[in-house]
Amino acid sequence: MTERTNIRESITKSFHDALERTDSKLLVDNLSDDIVLLQSGLDSLGFAILVAILDEELGFDPFAMMDEPVYPVTFGEFVSIYEKISPTE
Amino acid sequence: MDLVVVTGAFKGLGFAICKHLLKNGYSVVGIGRTLTSEYQELQEQYQDYLFHEVFDFNNIEDIKALSKKITSKYGVIYGLVNNAALGHDGVLATMHESQIEELIRVNVQAPIVLTKYISRSMLIRQRGRIINISSVIATTGYNGLSVYGATKSALSGFTRSLARELGRANITVNTVAPGFMDTSMTSSLKGEKLDSIRRRSPLNRMATVDDVANSVGFLLTPAADNITGSTITIDAGSTA
Ligand SMILES: NC(=O)c1ccc[n+]([C@@H]2O[C@H](COP(=O)([O-])OP(=O)(O)OC[C@H]3O[C@@H](n4cnc5c(N)ncnc54)[C@H](OP(=O)(O)O)[C@@H]3O)[C@@H](O)[C@H]2O)c1
Repeated sequence: MTERTNIRESITKSFHDALERTDSKLLVDNLSDDIVLLQSGLDSLGFAILVAILDEELGFDPFAMMDEPVYPVTFGEFVSIYEKISPTE
Repeated sequence: MDLVVVTGAFKGLGFAICKHLLKNGYSVVGIGRTLTSEYQELQEQYQDYLFHEVFDFNNIEDIKALSKKITSKYGVIYGLVNNAALGHDGVLATMHESQIEELIRVNVQAPIVLTKYISRSMLIRQRGRIINISSVIATTGYNGLSVYGATKSALSGFTRSLARELGRANITVNTVAPGFMDTSMTSSLKGEKLDSIRRRSPLNRMATVDDVANSVGFLLTPAADNITGSTITIDAGSTA
């Protein structure tokens, strides 16, 4: 359970970090599970930066570990991919 | 001190690039299949600055782990020079499919996947340089080098789009296109052929690996801050 909270926290923190690094602003009130990623304010380069930061921070990239390409649509889907694939789970 | 990863580093052009970078104050991680004694001697000379990883780029699926290993062992990466390549020649009609596949795997797929993972450390820090070694043959063509030529054109196409993609992250991506250089890749070209290459150059000579290494070095300096998506041709004028 704590592992899961940690992953969500890391993602939320890194999300803001990536927004800052790309000079972008969060276009929604907060990062709730139903937020559509494309409308969040983070663009494709921002997502690449987010995945890179998380790779360094959590030590894995679930998208590179999956056999098929998967593109999450909502923030909730994004988080659950990290929670499901986490090698420490 | 900035760290640069050079592929195909143990001989030929890659080795010349390593020497140039070390002289100019970079640390270098060289990757290649077969460690050479000249590389090991250079390592003794630059003990804390020159490192190596033995790796065969046919193993695409291990490139991710290789990149992780490099970042955790040696730290943040500033530059990547995609230099390793195969130079199989032969008429297409009789070239074995396995050789076509290997050329595309080692010369195109491997550098693309390596760039994917190595560029992450650059993305996070919003600072980096990627240099792809292509060839004049990518644009001129050469009898017996159609597949090799295709791989070299692919790399310069990769450069142009990636430069657009990574520009906003302050990462530059450029191509260096050498003309004929005397290395093991070209050791089968002799006598007549060599003379004709030399004669076609306005300078009546050929570019050397050191000439090309200088340009790679230049693209890593602050003087090249505003150069991205471009190609530097070093061929003693042969394609002018
Ligand atoms: N020589 C020329 O006239 C010329 C002209 C234009 C462009 N270029 C380009 O310049 C670059 C360097 O070539 P070069 O002339 O220095 O040739 P080279 O002496 O044959 O060097 C090629 C390098 O690539 C490495 N390499 C090849 N296959 C590999 C694999 N599967 N895994 C890991 N490393 C591999 C080789 O390592 P191993 O020996 O350990 O396999 C070697 O270090 C290449 O990109 C080439 O296309 C050369």
